[in-house]
Order: sequence, then C-alpha cells, then structure tokens
Amino acid sequence: MLKYGGRFENYFSRHHVTHIICSNLPDSKIKNLRSFSGGLPVIKPTWVLESVAANKLLSWIPYQLDQLASETKKQPKLSAFGFKSGPVLDDLEESISGQAVPQSGIATLRTSCSLEANIFGKAECTEEVEECHSVSDDPFHPNAAESTDQAPTYCMENHCEVELDAAVVGQSDAGYHSHISPCQDPKSDHNDCLEDHIIEESSSSKTIRPSTTGHSTLSDANFVENYFKFSRLHFIGTWRNRYRKRFLSSANGFKDMNPSRNAFATSQKTTIIHVDMDCFFVSVVIRKHPDLKDKPVAVCHSDNSRGTAEISSANYPARNHGVKAGMFIRDAKALCPQLVILPYNFDAYEEVADQFYDILHKHCNKVQAVSCDEAFIDVTDLRVEDPELFARAIRTEIHETTGCTASAGISGSMLMARVATRIAKPDGLCYIPSEKVDDYLHELPVKALPGIGHVLEEKLKKKQINTCGQLRLISKESLQKDFGVKTGDMLWNFSRGIDNRLVGVFQESKSIGADVNWGVRFNDLNDMKDFLLKLCKEVSLRLQGCGLKGRTITLKIKKRRSDAGEPVKYMGCGDCENLSRSVTLPMATDDVDVFQRITAQLFGYFHIDARDIRGAGLQASKLESADRNIRGHEKYSIRSWLVSSPARKSSMGKDVSEHMNGAGKGDQLYSDIGPPVQAKGSFSGGEAHVVHRATLPALHELDVGVIESLPPEVLSEINDLYAGELISFISKKKEKNAGNNVMDEEQSLSNPLVPPNKDFVHDAAEKIKSSEKEDEQYINKMIQGLPETSGSVTALLPETDSLMPSSLSQVDSSVLQQLPEELLADVLVSLPAHRRPDFMSNDVYLDHIRDQTGAIDFLPSNNLWVGNPPRWVDNFRLSSCQLLNRIAVLYNKSSPRGQFSSVLQLIMSEYPLDDGGDDAVNCLCELMKQYIKLKIETDVEEIYTCSCLLRRLTSRSELFLQVYNCIIPHLQAAVGETYGGDLNICFIE
Amino acid sequence: MERKDNNQAKAPQGEAARILTEFLEVAITCIIFLKGVYPHGAFERRRYMNVVVHRARHPQLRDYIHSSVNGLLPFIQKGLVERVVVIFFDNEDFPIERFVFKVNLNLSYGSKVEQSDLEFSLRSFLIKLPVSESLTKLLPRGCRWEITAYFRALPEASTSKDSELIWIPTDTKQWQQPPLITPIKSMNSEPLGVQLYLEHPSLSEPKP
Repeated sequence: MLKYGGRFENYFSRHHVTHIICSNLPDSKIKNLRSFSGGLPVIKPTWVLESVAANKLLSWIPYQLDQLASETKKQPKLSAFGFKSGPVLDDLEESISGQAVPQSGIATLRTSCSLEANIFGKAECTEEVEECHSVSDDPFHPNAAESTDQAPTYCMENHCEVELDAAVVGQSDAGYHSHISPCQDPKSDHNDCLEDHIIEESSSSKTIRPSTTGHSTLSDANFVENYFKFSRLHFIGTWRNRYRKRFLSSANGFKDMNPSRNAFATSQKTTIIHVDMDCFFVSVVIRKHPDLKDKPVAVCHSDNSRGTAEISSANYPARNHGVKAGMFIRDAKALCPQLVILPYNFDAYEEVADQFYDILHKHCNKVQAVSCDEAFIDVTDLRVEDPELFARAIRTEIHETTGCTASAGISGSMLMARVATRIAKPDGLCYIPSEKVDDYLHELPVKALPGIGHVLEEKLKKKQINTCGQLRLISKESLQKDFGVKTGDMLWNFSRGIDNRLVGVFQESKSIGADVNWGVRFNDLNDMKDFLLKLCKEVSLRLQGCGLKGRTITLKIKKRRSDAGEPVKYMGCGDCENLSRSVTLPMATDDVDVFQRITAQLFGYFHIDARDIRGAGLQASKLESADRNIRGHEKYSIRSWLVSSPARKSSMGKDVSEHMNGAGKGDQLYSDIGPPVQAKGSFSGGEAHVVHRATLPALHELDVGVIESLPPEVLSEINDLYAGELISFISKKKEKNAGNNVMDEEQSLSNPLVPPNKDFVHDAAEKIKSSEKEDEQYINKMIQGLPETSGSVTALLPETDSLMPSSLSQVDSSVLQQLPEELLADVLVSLPAHRRPDFMSNDVYLDHIRDQTGAIDFLPSNNLWVGNPPRWVDNFRLSSCQLLNRIAVLYNKSSPRGQFSSVLQLIMSEYPLDDGGDDAVNCLCELMKQYIKLKIETDVEEIYTCSCLLRRLTSRSELFLQVYNCIIPHLQAAVGETYGGDLNICFIE
Repeated sequence: MERKDNNQAKAPQGEAARILTEFLEVAITCIIFLKGVYPHGAFERRRYMNVVVHRARHPQLRDYIHSSVNGLLPFIQKGLVERVVVIFFDNEDFPIERFVFKVNLNLSYGSKVEQSDLEFSLRSFLIKLPVSESLTKLLPRGCRWEITAYFRALPEASTSKDSELIWIPTDTKQWQQPPLITPIKSMNSEPLGVQLYLEHPSLSEPKP
C-alpha cells in the first residue's frame, strides 16, 4: 500500500485520514457513524486490493461497508433520482419524474428497469466520467476540470449501483452531489471556512446516513408541484374554489333572496337536510368494481405493507375490522390482512363531486357546501310535504348517477341534521323531528357535536361530562366562565339542539396558501430558498386562479424539536415546533417576486437551521379581489406612504431596507427610491429601534434629481405635503447646482495636473453640466440593474456631494463597459483630476479599464483567500513584481499564520520598500478587498489592525498609499453595511 | 417546557450561551469599573478565568448586571440576541459612548463545546479591556449608563412567556449620523463569535 502512496495512520485525524478501512463495525459505531468516522467514507479492504490491482484509484462507493449500505435500503426512495442537474441525465429525469413522486419514496422495480435501460445506453459516458473521478479523489483541492465532472460522475455511479443491486437502493446522493458541485467550483465565492464546508458536505453525502438519505425537497425539482398534485387535502381545499366557479351564479341568486327569508324565518318551521356521501374517497374509486363492494378497501397514496403511509379513507367492511383513517398501512394490514389498498383517483372524485352538487342544486337552490362530499340544503321554502320522501329521492338519484351511496339527515337545524346523518350512516336516512331532539341528544357523546375537538373533549371529560345530557345540567354562565364566552355559549346551545346558523351562502375563502409538511428536508439555506420560491409561485398561481390578491403574508415553519428523532412516518414532519411570522403589506399583491422577497425576509427572522425544517407553509390573507384592487388603488397612493401609522411604516421600512439590501447600499440609492425612504434609512443598518423621524424629510434633504424625475402627479402630491414649497425649492436648487458645477469644473481646469487635451475636457465638462442629472439617474439605474456588482458600485458614490469615485480602481469596469461610448467618455473625464492615482490620457484610461477587466478574468476573482496557504500566496510568488514576491515569502514567516495583519507587521520591518507597478496595486487592493469581505463579519478587530498598519505604511511607500486610498472607501462601506458605522481609523495617531 | 429547557441546556449552544452570559456579566462589570462611573472602592478584585477582574460590591449594582444579563440567556440560546450594548449617557440622556458586544451564536453547531477553548478566547477580552482605556472617552459628571440588548427579531409574545419581560425603550435619544467604530477585540471560535467594539458619535454629529 505504501508503494502506491497510501499510508496507515495510528491515530484518527481529520487532516491525514481520507478513508476508513474495515470489514466489520460494532453496532454502536454504526449507530453513531458520524462521530466515529468524522464523515469519512468507511470502506471494505477489497477497495484497496482492487485499486492496487487496477493500478488506479477506484471509486469507493461500490466498496462501502455492507452494514452501512444496507442502512439505506431500509428507507429506499425513488424520487431521489429526480436530480436537479446533471445534463447527461436530463432525459432520465423526465422519464421517471412522473412515476417517481407519487410512490411516496417507495421504489418500484418497473421504474428501475427503465433506468437501467437508459444507463446501458450511456455506458460509455459512465466510464469516461469515472476516470475523471479517480483523479478527483482529494476533496481538499478541487480544480475546475474535476469539479465540473463530479456531479455527473456521482449520479452515474448511483445508477450503476441500482443496476447492480437489481433492487432499487435509495440513493439520495444524486441530488446531493449535483448539489455539491457548485461549491467545489473554484470560481465561486468562498474562503477558508469553505474548506470545512466542502468536507462536511461531501462527507455527509458520502457516508450514507439513514437520517438524511431522503431529501425529497432537494432531489425533486418539481417537488412542490407534484406534492400538491397528489395531495388529497389539497384536492379538498381547492375543490371549494372549483365549486365556487361552477355554482357561483346559483349561489348569488340565493344570496339575494336571503334577507327576505330572514324576515319570516322565525315564524316558520325550518327543515334542513344534511347529505353526506358514504366513505366518499373509497366508494368513488370502487364504484366501477362491484366485486370490491363488500370487501375491506382503503384508499391511500401508497400500497406497501411496510409503509408508514396513512390511510385516508376506509369503507365500512374495512371499518368493521377496526381500520380507521389516519392509520399507518402496516397497522391496518395487521388488523385486516385482506385489506385492499387502492390509490386516489382525483379525476373521478371531481366528476362525482360535480354530479353530487348538480343533483342538489337541481332539487333546491339553497345549498351550502361543506366539502366535496357533504352539503346542507334548506328545503323550508320548497314547502315539501314530506321531507323524508324528498331526501329519499335525492339519495336515489345520487346513487343512480354516481354509483355511490349517500346518507341524509333531516331536522330543524344544521346541528341536528348533522347528528341525524351520523345516526343514518351508512347508506341510510334519519329524520329527527323537533320534539324528538332532546331524546336524541340526551345520550349523544359530546364529541359528536361539531366544534368539539380533542382538547375540548378532554376538558369536558375532566369535569365528568361525557354526553350532551350531562352538559345540559351546567349553567350557561359557568360554561362561559370555564370555556370562554363564545365556546360556552356554543356548548350551551348545542347541548340543547339549538343552532341558529342558517344554511348560508358559500363562505368566501379568508386566506389562500400552500403548506407542505411531508418530505421536507434541506441541506442548507439555498435549498430552503429554492423551496420557498416554489411555494411562492404556487401561492401566487392559486391567488391568480381565484382572482384575488393578498395583503398579509404569513410564513409558517415546522421546526424539528431538538429532542425529536426521525419521525415514525416516513419523511413525515414528526414532533415539531410551529413557528409563524407575518407581514402586512400596504398593497395587496399576487406577484411572485413580492412574495419571494417577503418570504425571504420573513424566513430570515426565524434564524433556524435549514436542516431542522420539516415543513413550510405560505399564506396570503386579507384577500381583496384583483379588480377591486385596481379601483381601490387611490387609497394606497404615495400619500399613505408618507403619512402612515407607525405600524405600517415599520412594515414598509423593512420592505424598503430589504429592497436596498438587494440593490446595495449607498446614500444615493436611498434617495433613488424616493423621499419617504430617507426617513427610514436607519432600517438598513439592521437597527431594531423604531424610526424617529416620522415626519417628512426636510426639504434640503431631498434629492432634486429624483424629485424631478417623478411623474407630475406624484410630484404635485408631494408638493402639497410640503405646502407648495417644493417647486420653488427645486428651481432654486437647480440654479445653485448649475453654479456649483461651473465652479467645480473651473477648479478642475485650473488644476495643473489636468490631461493635455483641454479642449476635449472642456467640451465634456459642458456636456456633463447639462446631463449630469441624467447621468446620475442612469448610473443609479445601472446599479439597481446589476445587483451582483453592488459591492463595488456603491463605491462609485462614496460621498453625497460627489458622484465620482476617488480613484479609478474603485470603478466597476463591468458597469463602465456597458455604458454607451459617449457617456463613458463623460464619466471618465469627470473623474476629478486630483484624485487620479496617476495621470493618463483618456485613451489610456479606457485601456486601463479594458486591462482591468482582462485582469479580472485572469484572476479567479473571489477566492484569493481560499486554501492553505491561501491562493494569493502562490499568485504572488509567481508574480513578476518583487514586492509581491516578498509578501508571499513574508506570509510564510508570519505568525499567527493566515492573519494578514501579521504579514503587514512584517512588511513594516522591511526596508527599503521597493515600489511595484499598477499591477501590484491592483493585486493588493483585490487581496485586501477579499480579505475585508472574509473577515468583516467575524473579525473586525483584524480588519482594524490591518487598516491601521496600512495607514502607517502609507508614509513609507507610494504604493501603499495608493492601496490605502483604494481600500478605505471600500472598507468603510463594508463596515457601514455590517456594523452601521464608520471605522475609526484616525483614532490611532 | 421544563423538559425542553433541559435539552437546550445540554445542547452545545446552551452551554456556549451559559458561558457567554457569565462572561458578559464579568465583562460589563469590568467596563463599568474601567469607566470610573463609581468610586473604585465600590469594586473588589476577583479572579475569573485566571485573570484579575473586578466585581461590584454594591448588591444593587451587582444585581442589575446579573439579572439583566441572565434575563437574556433564553434569547441568546435561541440566537435572537444580536448585540449587547453598554451605553453611557451624559446628563441630558444623550449617548456618548457605547460598548458593543456583537454576539454570533451558531445554532447549527453540532459537536460538543470545549469550555476551556471558549474561555481561553473570552479571556483575551478581559485582558484587552483594561488596556484599551485610552480609546475611550472621559465621561462627564452626572452621567448614567444602562445595558441594552438588540434583538435580531422580537420574540413572539404568544410563543414565549419570557417576552413579557422584555422592555423596549421608546424615548431614547439616538445619534443621527452613523457612529465611529473602534474595535477592541474579536473572537470567533465555534460555535460562538463575540466582537467587542466601541461606538462614538461621529465628528459631524450635531451637538445636543
């Protein structure tokens, strides 16, 4: 083994050990694999032997310890094969995703076959990637070529294993690995700690742990969509909407009649029929299978005797065996081995529900839908002679049309009608005339009353109340005292069979949302964000489907309790803490982007680990109809933004600061969004305290440029708020500005250091004067349009009095390059001459910019500090500049290693400091910028020490002066963003 | 509820949070001592983490610091507390100096917290504090001080009983300009990161 570069370590160390070889593990270590292996792969010795025999490093995955590999088989999962990326396998994904998801993670052989077929077709490809993989075994230093291939490699390997095992092994790794690959891409933005991160991630995916194997939210790109497609509860939920559309007209007609009815309702004896289909979800499915009619049948989304899928509905023969809804399949099968399990048939449900309501509406126009299979009808107005006969006719018709049976209860109130149905079931009819109500109720258990759930039942039981008869003995007052006014009232009334509710109109939805609490597992925040985006899309689609918009957005999260293990139900949510947060917007919305922004923000408040999330729901409430929204728009005009209550303000402030986070921070941007935002500027610093300037910003604080560009209506509105002073203020300001500009330009012209072609400069200056505002807006727009450049672009606007950056190196050249040629020239010329680090003609500037972009392409821009020693050390060592070489050498001498301040400290003692060229300045600036980015959150002290040292170095070397000047604005911006203040550098003197 | 609390205390974050609150109590007392708000006789020398520190003798002072910091413990455990700030006000209630402890507790940290490591890192704060007196401003006569914690988000009233105990100051005077920041000490070891820095009003801050 030594000959081939392998080593045996006596003691376990994360740094030296890459694989753990053994042939057997004690149970305790299997159970606690992670703490034993530290996430490293645990492999059989044959791997070493065969690798030696093959003379190359074989993939360890097939050699994984059997004990571990079998762990995963316990909870196999097919949807894991629906990976997000892996271009080779895109077609695979398509071919299986349809089948994969509804199976609730239980793989079927059929699917695996289709996989195999595909894999054979790609056999060549597999070999190719495998070879790539054999080189890339060292996760510490991934390089570009390897990492790009890695994702497909792992995927392919997983499938090879599928092929070998013949039975499908649930490998979530596919999702996992494709997920890792972006991290390993050296171009992505990472730092020292990333290393640990990579190891952590890759190891966790390599060690197949039962608890994390199934990441359905991860592995299936269309999880949310499919989730709802196959959810029964969702069917019931959305059925309401469907019903509304279908029967809206009749419901409306009914509504109009309502008031007149109320007038004489009391005088007349009401007759209400409650119709409920018998075990709807089963009987619809078996209506076409008469042979199953008397057999125990249950409906469930998955048929697997080991499964922990829950039975959603069971027919009466099955119920006789003790099978109940909500039971796990394995328990149900234990009770009733001959139980037939059938899948849902949503199309059929829809069809039958429609037929059901068609019949009801045909017979009576006062229908209140409770659910897709349950409704109240009020037949009082029909003056039916014999309600029993009427109900019987309806039942017969339902049976003939749909092939399913329905039960009906008739009584004087909705409550009693429902109680009657309970007695009538199955397939029966019960009539409770008003004089018999008391008899029926007397022995009725309290649980049977609507509105009494587990909690209330328990409370009542504690008081020795089990039946309505017992409940009736208690006075209304004491009920109200014990259970609250409303509940007490309800209990008192219901126990006497009094129910004043009318068979009402269809209730409008109060909120629309989407909740997912099954199969939710995430690796990190990015997964969660993707998931939230999908939820947002779903909710937005649903709102649009109903023609509604919501004002309040609520995000609910199910968080695993810290002591809860993996839930009993496969991929279920288990014991969870329910967290929820909401925000009320000033304007109702159904826009995905708004939802996304707000949910991201709401999610941010939770501060929870993505891995603990077991479910999430997003809801929009305070619904307004979409067209009313347009009419009511006036209400939400800018006035309400300006003069709003503190509560509204705070929510909006958050909103705005969120907006600014996205766009980058700079004073100019505040004003870009509009004057009201200025008052809320303090939110951006993450300050918890409430804004103090609730009044309008002072006139002089307004940005004229912004005001001018506002549409005239808005401008006049603001002007009104300022009692008409605004307009005159603007014109004054304009004059002043013009004057200032002239002075500025003159100053710069009289500066002896101005480039030779004065005429050009003069021309340009003229141009600027006229188009300055335009430019500013243009650039501001550019900044907003290019969020990824925000960090450096804000440096473009470092001071409020000046648009221009203090040095060219701060200018984000990508922004400049996108400017039109003439505008670019203007911007360049307007760079204040005295701020230029060196004096070049325009053309040289342009070249400079082009060079810089070239250099940016050449330098991997964001990972100079990745690795140990960091990447820049190598770059500097190989550089042609002596100073940089020297710095690289000093890095190795410095201690503590990895702190740039200690390097700077050593530079202090170097003498003399030779100057490098522009390249050296650029390199150092870039290095410092990335260092600031890396350390700003966690170690402001280090940043502070560095900047103080750098400041001291400025007196020794021109080069460091340039670096210092270039870094400071960037540094202050970063500190301002993170700590809401400026670093006090001049303090040490 | 009780069961959950126990679990939290056992979790690495719970342990780290406990160490942190203990440290904050000592560090805040040291700041108060350092700034000379009270006569030196009001403090006695003690040893904490093998460093000489000062402890308030007056029961009320000691109790204020102790109870306010310990009141934060449940919120620190949940990662809700972002900054714990010792603010010094002049006699017009205008803040003149703020000692900010920025706390970053990694809630997803899984392995056991090495108490000794954490204490070693925290000790450096107690060593650095007395020598950074030159960075601070001389306090005028008649000043007062308080401990304020800034939360990442306000805990929901319905979910925790503790939130009833939260007092939110409403009529405090704030600086209009972003303050000047002088870092004193930073420490970042898993799962706890603490940064101590000073905030002074910026030079352009309008004088009250």
